[in-house]
Amino acid sequence: MMLSAFANPVFDSQRNFRELLQAMARPAAPRELPVLPPSPAPIAPAAMAILLTLCDATTSVWLQQPQPTAVDHLRFHAGLKLAERPEDADFALITDPTSMPPLDAFARGDLRYPDRSASVIVQVAGFGASHGAGKFSGPGIRDVETLAIEGLPHGFWQQRAELASQLPLGVDLYFVAAHQVVGLPRTTRWLEG
Amino acid sequence: MYVAVKGGEQAIARSLELLAEARRGDTAVPELELKQIREQLRLGVARVMQEGSLYDEELAALAMRQAAGDMLEAIFLLRAYRTTLPRFGYTQPLNTSAMRVRRRVSGTFKDIPGGQVLGPTYDYTQRLLDFETTSPVEVSLADAPLPSNVPRVLDLLDAEALIERIEPGSDPEPIDLTREPLTFPADRATRLQNLSRGDEGFLLGMAYSTQRGYAESHPFAGEIRMGEVDVVVCPEELGFAIEIGSITLTECQMINQFHGGNGVPPQFTRGYGLCMGEGERKAMSMALVDRALRCDELAESSYAPAQNQEFVLSHSDSVEASGFVQHLKLPHYVDFQAELSLLRTLAAQHAAHLQTPPSASPQEDGKAGPDAACSQEPDPTPTLPCAQGREQFEAVKT
Amino acid sequence: MTYNFAFLDEDTKRMLRRALLKAVAIPGYQVPFGSREMPLPYGWGTGGIQVTAALLGPDDVLKVIDQGADDTTNAVNIRRFFARVAGVATTEHTVDATIIQTRHRIPETSLREDQVLVFQVPEPEPLRTLEPREAETRTLHALADYGLMHVKLYEDIAQYGHIATSYDYPVLVDGRYLTSPSPIPKFDNPKLHQSPALMLFGAGREKRLYAIPPYTEVESLAFDDHPFEIQRWEHQCELCGSGESYLDEVIVDDRGTRMFVCSDTDFCGQRRPEARA
Repeated sequence: MMLSAFANPVFDSQRNFRELLQAMARPAAPRELPVLPPSPAPIAPAAMAILLTLCDATTSVWLQQPQPTAVDHLRFHAGLKLAERPEDADFALITDPTSMPPLDAFARGDLRYPDRSASVIVQVAGFGASHGAGKFSGPGIRDVETLAIEGLPHGFWQQRAELASQLPLGVDLYFVAAHQVVGLPRTTRWLEG
Repeated sequence: MYVAVKGGEQAIARSLELLAEARRGDTAVPELELKQIREQLRLGVARVMQEGSLYDEELAALAMRQAAGDMLEAIFLLRAYRTTLPRFGYTQPLNTSAMRVRRRVSGTFKDIPGGQVLGPTYDYTQRLLDFETTSPVEVSLADAPLPSNVPRVLDLLDAEALIERIEPGSDPEPIDLTREPLTFPADRATRLQNLSRGDEGFLLGMAYSTQRGYAESHPFAGEIRMGEVDVVVCPEELGFAIEIGSITLTECQMINQFHGGNGVPPQFTRGYGLCMGEGERKAMSMALVDRALRCDELAESSYAPAQNQEFVLSHSDSVEASGFVQHLKLPHYVDFQAELSLLRTLAAQHAAHLQTPPSASPQEDGKAGPDAACSQEPDPTPTLPCAQGREQFEAVKT
Repeated sequence: MTYNFAFLDEDTKRMLRRALLKAVAIPGYQVPFGSREMPLPYGWGTGGIQVTAALLGPDDVLKVIDQGADDTTNAVNIRRFFARVAGVATTEHTVDATIIQTRHRIPETSLREDQVLVFQVPEPEPLRTLEPREAETRTLHALADYGLMHVKLYEDIAQYGHIATSYDYPVLVDGRYLTSPSPIPKFDNPKLHQSPALMLFGAGREKRLYAIPPYTEVESLAFDDHPFEIQRWEHQCELCGSGESYLDEVIVDDRGTRMFVCSDTDFCGQRRPEARA
């Protein structure tokens, strides 16, 4: 049986959006997503909350693991188009970070239109502040933000640092774990791990 | 004592009452009914639908009445309503070849298959005010009905390969300008969409300029036709086409001279105009402007305003233009104060400069006069940083 | 018929929300968006209204100002619009607001992290008056080639001894994009720099959105030997006595007598003795 989506689409997506906006505006600081909808595996409820809040028939989404029930669910509730290839996606969902494609597989925009770039949602194991924490700075961060993002593949931060040399081109990341979201726009600098 | 102005809310409420009263006029005179507007002001209704981008005669009539006959205001009302409507789908391309014509004329051939059909037109009226009340007219029936499918004049030229051929189906899927922003360069489908809802007065002026040497394009009115066209949708879940009704359209195909070039033989080229309802002036203007905007594609020199797509497309919309011109009546006193302060400083400086010998340093010139509300210290000429980056950009592009 | 909450349909809100997130991710860059016709005219705040409509929820408290004042007619009209289509609480007090939509000013009262400032923008392109062609200005932004603007400011100084721009004074955001702060007086420019509050900019007629995230470097263009300076007054507000706020000049009689009062009516009202009593 098909799972339901937001109980109250207008207000649930509005509340989630406000947190996503703050997550993007204040990078590397975990925020609570207020409304988590039911979600079929392998999509986590927090990732589903982002997709339902932002995507519809005009956006193309690339799923790393396009399981039929998950695909049907998204098609039914959001009407969205699935992208065949990562580079064609407006949004991409990574459900298994250890085997994710390299970040430069996604659209980075062009210099006239850097906004024509992907937003990548990554389901991670969790967020911490101490063990293995990275330091971040950039717009939205007052001084330095310290955060560990657990479950990312080896070499992820080096990849992202290389991408940062192409600013203002880039991809923007949303990490989700349980009910939390962390935004990492292209402008956030990774200082050390 | 001075008290800051308060009561904006009340003032607005009073203004709305006055507006309602003025709109209604003398209440001893019956209020206009929408069907009167629809039936008797049909060309106004057509223009509001066209530029309002919504084919609904009833709503257009309502907008005209609410706007007290101000067409641009009526167009705005319809647009603001239209923007809230859900979109169920897109129709198939309208087939104007299958138009049930009520009017169809060509300036290029004396006679054409299907004939010249004048239909209802002001063209041959004598513009004398008719002081008599109009009495019902007996319309005499033609000996034979018009053919149901009147061939297009340009297709006849096409058979001779004298006019550029545009393969059906060769166009990419057009963007929907009411949902997506206009970006440059805009392709022809996007340009036509913009022109079709553009302000008639603006297009008329632009078109006129092309006839007066600003982008001379040697136009002939190949064909102008007006009549009814069926609207067809093909819902995905049904998988077959269904006709959902018909609308009135006016189409204009201009024939323009072209001397060839870029490996293309000398041939006629096309300018195209289409609008909802009866709108011949609009469709013709659009066709001239469309042709002028094709200058790059046809490798023509581009020097005139009507050939400049940014200039034309960015300024064609009456809702945008009317809003921005009229926004100047909003309060700007914060910015005006900023300018006033600056100007007082500069004026004081100028006056001081006239009185001081030329050897004086500009540092001393800059003391604001006693009347200056705020002061800003001028300094000598600054150091100019260099522009940067073009090489870097080229490198990234390649 | 009834309209959706906050007037816009959900598809339109999603489109706006996606564009806003990109705007925040690329500070100062103008994101094209599918601006809709609003029931208020273009040029009268339709960009700000669309941004506010995309943000607004039932728990928000909205403040709308024009020229710093809550009671100017267009501010009243926009506030009335949202009270009507979203039923949200409105306020005139800066400290009580969660969203502040503004035209031409940034409130004098410092904003907080939990507030969002929405600017109405008539012309988002800072280079427009120097280069009217969009295709060209877009290239200049791609190249970060802002020589045109530097030359303009340079010529101002050569001609007048000053940079002759007193409002809508261009800024460089995060060291990358030249950005219009909207027609705020340059007095307000320092408030853009390292602001605790997120700042969103909407240009409805021009169909562009952009953002300055909180705690972001915002530099008003200047030259080493001609540093950026803000307006200063020799007067104080005649109502509240403030010497630090932006002042409006008011003509009070037929002889042209002037007086100066705060443009930010809430700030002024909070400082006045009768308010404190």
